[in-house]
Amino acid sequence: MVLVELAKALHVPVWALRGFLAPLVYPGLVALLGTVLFLIWAERKMAARVQQRVGPYYVSPKLHGALQLIADGARFALQEVIVHVETDRLMFVLGPILTFTFLSLPFTVLPGGPGIYGFRSDFSMVIVYALLTLSPITVILMGWASSNKFAMIGGGREALLTVSGEITLALAILSVAAMYGTLDFVTAVEKQVHTGIIGLVSNPIAALLFFLAMLLLTDRVPFDIVLGEQEIVQGPYTEYSGVLYALTMAIDYAKLYALSIAFTLLFLGGWAPFTTPLLGAISVYIKSLIVLLFSVFLRSVYGRMRLDHAMNFFWARLFPLGFIALALGVFVHVIYA
Amino acid sequence: MSQGSNSDKQDDHRPRINPVLAHLEAIATGIKWLTRKPMTLMYPDMEEKKPEYFRGFIIFNYDKCIGCSLCAQVCPPRAIHMYRVPGDKRIRPGYDAGRCIHCGLCTDICPTDALDVSPVHDEVFEQIESMDFDPVEWHIISKKLVEEHAKRKRKLVITRVDEEVGLRYEPVE
Repeated sequence: MVLVELAKALHVPVWALRGFLAPLVYPGLVALLGTVLFLIWAERKMAARVQQRVGPYYVSPKLHGALQLIADGARFALQEVIVHVETDRLMFVLGPILTFTFLSLPFTVLPGGPGIYGFRSDFSMVIVYALLTLSPITVILMGWASSNKFAMIGGGREALLTVSGEITLALAILSVAAMYGTLDFVTAVEKQVHTGIIGLVSNPIAALLFFLAMLLLTDRVPFDIVLGEQEIVQGPYTEYSGVLYALTMAIDYAKLYALSIAFTLLFLGGWAPFTTPLLGAISVYIKSLIVLLFSVFLRSVYGRMRLDHAMNFFWARLFPLGFIALALGVFVHVIYA
Repeated sequence: MSQGSNSDKQDDHRPRINPVLAHLEAIATGIKWLTRKPMTLMYPDMEEKKPEYFRGFIIFNYDKCIGCSLCAQVCPPRAIHMYRVPGDKRIRPGYDAGRCIHCGLCTDICPTDALDVSPVHDEVFEQIESMDFDPVEWHIISKKLVEEHAKRKRKLVITRVDEEVGLRYEPVE
């Protein structure tokens, strides 16, 4: 294997190289950066096409405006970071940094292909879930520290919606865990590869719940209630500018990226047709990219749900559906046993 | 159903929508529209062909002017004022492009055709003060704009209303 030879050549143990490469290169930060740059461009371009507009164009006409995001990033990097007088300074500055740190940690256990992971644990689904649920706490703190009414309201909405979204996500993950009989991503994918039946076919209800909870937790339309541009400017991120604003934008996309890789691994068979590291990694990446593109495409189809409607939808419809998914998962377990 | 019994009675006359099929239909419609071509007129690269007597920026020829001040009298928004130019016996018109409504009355009334309409409509000024010209400045900028407009190599198009696409742009020579 390439990784073992590389470790021998560099005179470092394999586990250290894994622990370094997975969270930093693929599926970690470098891949995340490239994906986010592409994804925001694709989101704007697709929304423009549906409305028969052109979208970003004049930054690089030959690439249809693909460099627009790099121009935006350069602008954010050069812009002054304004920390106004009434903020709680420490929390205001640390908020985006801490949140992004929490969100870059799941890439240590999320496998990006066969044998491509930071470390393998029997409880990797639980670890990813736990690390992703840490971030709303700091987002709520950011809303509080900003000393701004829009940020306050945004933080409150984040608190309400997180509770209703995460229970659905937990039920979806639980039903999948019951279905595969494991809490490990790698084993789950291997079971799908061996039987040839992907999770989307064997438990579509859990897939739907996972996808909807993913949209809610990452503020995608129709559940972009936390950001709510027309109502509360930018939600908890209203007061941020410059590099910190770029980080707050990256928060939701990082979460979306991590969750869509998890969706690919749990429901779309992971590296299913291939078993070699390179082709498997490409397969996982392309599948999760399709999930990402679909979830940002919904922006041009739906309007925003009202807060109470979304809460009602998640608690009254999806929460009971979660138990049905769990029962179905236990029932379907026979296939993968 | 979960909204309570009061709203249920009022909502009875509304058509029932299948929640699953309606969402699928909405997404399918979005994907269908995704394949359509944009309607945008790519403006600085492409421009609509102007009709023959299009009234844009008023151009002024200092040499033809006889200083009768009819233009200043007829101008509805008072964009034209008469100025005294050093070394000239007569008064000459100056032009405030910020006030001009491009009605073309001054070009109609001018007895020597010193004033004329031009197809230039998109000249950009950075400050509001720089839009106010005295006679000599007006003469100079008129010359400059006419020359620049002749050099322009934009694609000229005609807009057609199309039932399929919405708006269509046909190139013209």
